[in-house]
Amino acid sequence: MLRFKHLSYLRQCVVLLLVLLLFAWLSLFTWSIVPVSASQALMAIMAPDDAIIAHHIVLDIRLPRVLIAGLVGACLAVAGAIMQSLTRNPLASPSVLGVNAGAALGMAAVSTVTPWLGFFGISTAAILGGAIAWGIVMLLGTAWRGGNEHGRLVLAGVAVSALCAALMKAMIILHEDQASAVLTWLAGSVAGASWHQWQHFWPIASLSLLGAFLMSPTLNLLNLGDDNARSLGAKLGWTRVICSLLVLVLVGSALSIAGAIAFIGLLVPHMSKALVGQDNRKILPLTAIMGAALVVMADTLSRAIIYPTETPVGAIIALIGAPFFIYMVRTRTA
Amino acid sequence: MKPMALSFLLFLMVLVLVAMSLSFGAVSLSLNEIISGFSPSSEFYFTIHEYRLPRTLLAVLVGGMMALSGALVQGVIRNPLASPDILGVSHGAGLAAVVLMTLFPHVSVYWLPWAALCGGLCAALLLWLLCGSHSSAIKLAITGIAMATLYSSVVDFLMLTRPLEINNALLWLTGSLWGRGWDQVAMILPWLSLVPVAFWLAKRMNLVQLGDDVATSLGVSIPVTRLFVLAISVGMTAACVSICGPIGFLGLVAPHLARRLVGGRHQILLPCAIVVGMTLLLLADLVARTIDPPIELPAGLMTAILGAPYFLWLLLRTK
Repeated sequence: MLRFKHLSYLRQCVVLLLVLLLFAWLSLFTWSIVPVSASQALMAIMAPDDAIIAHHIVLDIRLPRVLIAGLVGACLAVAGAIMQSLTRNPLASPSVLGVNAGAALGMAAVSTVTPWLGFFGISTAAILGGAIAWGIVMLLGTAWRGGNEHGRLVLAGVAVSALCAALMKAMIILHEDQASAVLTWLAGSVAGASWHQWQHFWPIASLSLLGAFLMSPTLNLLNLGDDNARSLGAKLGWTRVICSLLVLVLVGSALSIAGAIAFIGLLVPHMSKALVGQDNRKILPLTAIMGAALVVMADTLSRAIIYPTETPVGAIIALIGAPFFIYMVRTRTA
Repeated sequence: MKPMALSFLLFLMVLVLVAMSLSFGAVSLSLNEIISGFSPSSEFYFTIHEYRLPRTLLAVLVGGMMALSGALVQGVIRNPLASPDILGVSHGAGLAAVVLMTLFPHVSVYWLPWAALCGGLCAALLLWLLCGSHSSAIKLAITGIAMATLYSSVVDFLMLTRPLEINNALLWLTGSLWGRGWDQVAMILPWLSLVPVAFWLAKRMNLVQLGDDVATSLGVSIPVTRLFVLAISVGMTAACVSICGPIGFLGLVAPHLARRLVGGRHQILLPCAIVVGMTLLLLADLVARTIDPPIELPAGLMTAILGAPYFLWLLLRTK
């Protein structure tokens, strides 16, 4: 690991990309109920043959699943990195600050209680709900002042999350009694991924990822503090509005596909900061790659843990992420 | 209002809520039908005696004990944000109970409170190891919540990998009185013996409120008192959690409301907190049951909807 840290940035990116590709390839054929061999997984993509069942499985079920898992991971991780710069709070992430719970509440509200709001669409509802929850957290947590109030912001986020989660569960239980589906969705899962979902997901997600990469120089200025950033010519108001919108779109679109996967946005940015330091221009692309790799790997594990049943991928990531959250709380709050 | 008149009023409110809790549900019963339901010959005997009466009793007992343990913790740590569920004790207890149920399904349910007690004690000990005795209010609360997140993600994982009956799962994730009966009442009764001990400690807790130095010079041993009170509180929380799951925010909100009503003297505060806790849980369970019968919401959802905004308000006022 130490030697890896001393590689040039470009080489680090290439190595991590290769790791991501390796995970993705493994995910195509391992722990499959219908046996698929490693070479078949490659051949299905290179030279698909209609007569072989394994090729159909890889192309129609596995490939969209891997792609969606990767993109969801990238979106959530980048959203977490942006939030950490925006609030200058190392604990900030979509799940901790209530964006996840708010987005979930928005989706539940549109799909159960108020179908007359149907013209909103699920993703719009998720974005709106996340925006409202995050706004409340920022106002109550006195976030814009920055400084040492890291803990207060997180506590406000936890309370708003608890409220949103309770309201959402109430709505869903009242509307339908398929509580097990709800539990699975709450934990986050990419098991039902299809090409149809992918077509709706990738244009929005990749556009907002691109937007995030373009904003990264300005995010660096925010890290310097309000006064310094202003004197270096950053327009604070606009930067915050645009970055917040990017975060909301990233989280909202990822959640409407995969459910509430937590802790990615907290975990991954810190991993890439440990590798490349505090420069957001380097952090954001690396974060995207590592987020994708982590979710793809966790998704493969989620099939392995109780083979042949599927465990939601979010439950596995939470098991990795929660101890890390405790560690961060111990070391980064006053 | 004088404390006597106030407590009479609160007591009356509990009685009214008990009557309502017996009367409303999938079938609404009149007062006469409820009274006749206590005799085995009545057609409502099953509904009243087997279903609603134990459940109502449990709401009263659990609500009171949760509120009492919250009041004890807040009194002895002098931290307005503290309560068993914010400190992760209830989730730790819940995790131990879930582990016992899923990994050792053949063990008798009567071990559940003891397993929960071990879990709760471990959670409290772990938090104390992490934070020491001199942490700021916010740091203690946030570490507790982080621990609670860890416990509940393990519970989530166990639930999702070993699907139990789904109502059971919701019970362990949010807290509910669904399907509880006389067995559970019998399980919680022995733990009531901790309540007089808590009252006996009330005077010392008043002195603890004055600060460590003053209390020590008045002859109270701070470490012993603190340990004793926390142990009692963890015990009561564990007993409640092993029966109803981690009902959120109840142990936080009820003592605060009681303090606003009668002030900080523990001889009056503790009984008042108990009655307020009973009222809150009865109300939460009643609303959760009657909002759209026969579908039931977990009572823990109701207390969270009520308690989370209150927590935010407290957070705003905490310096």
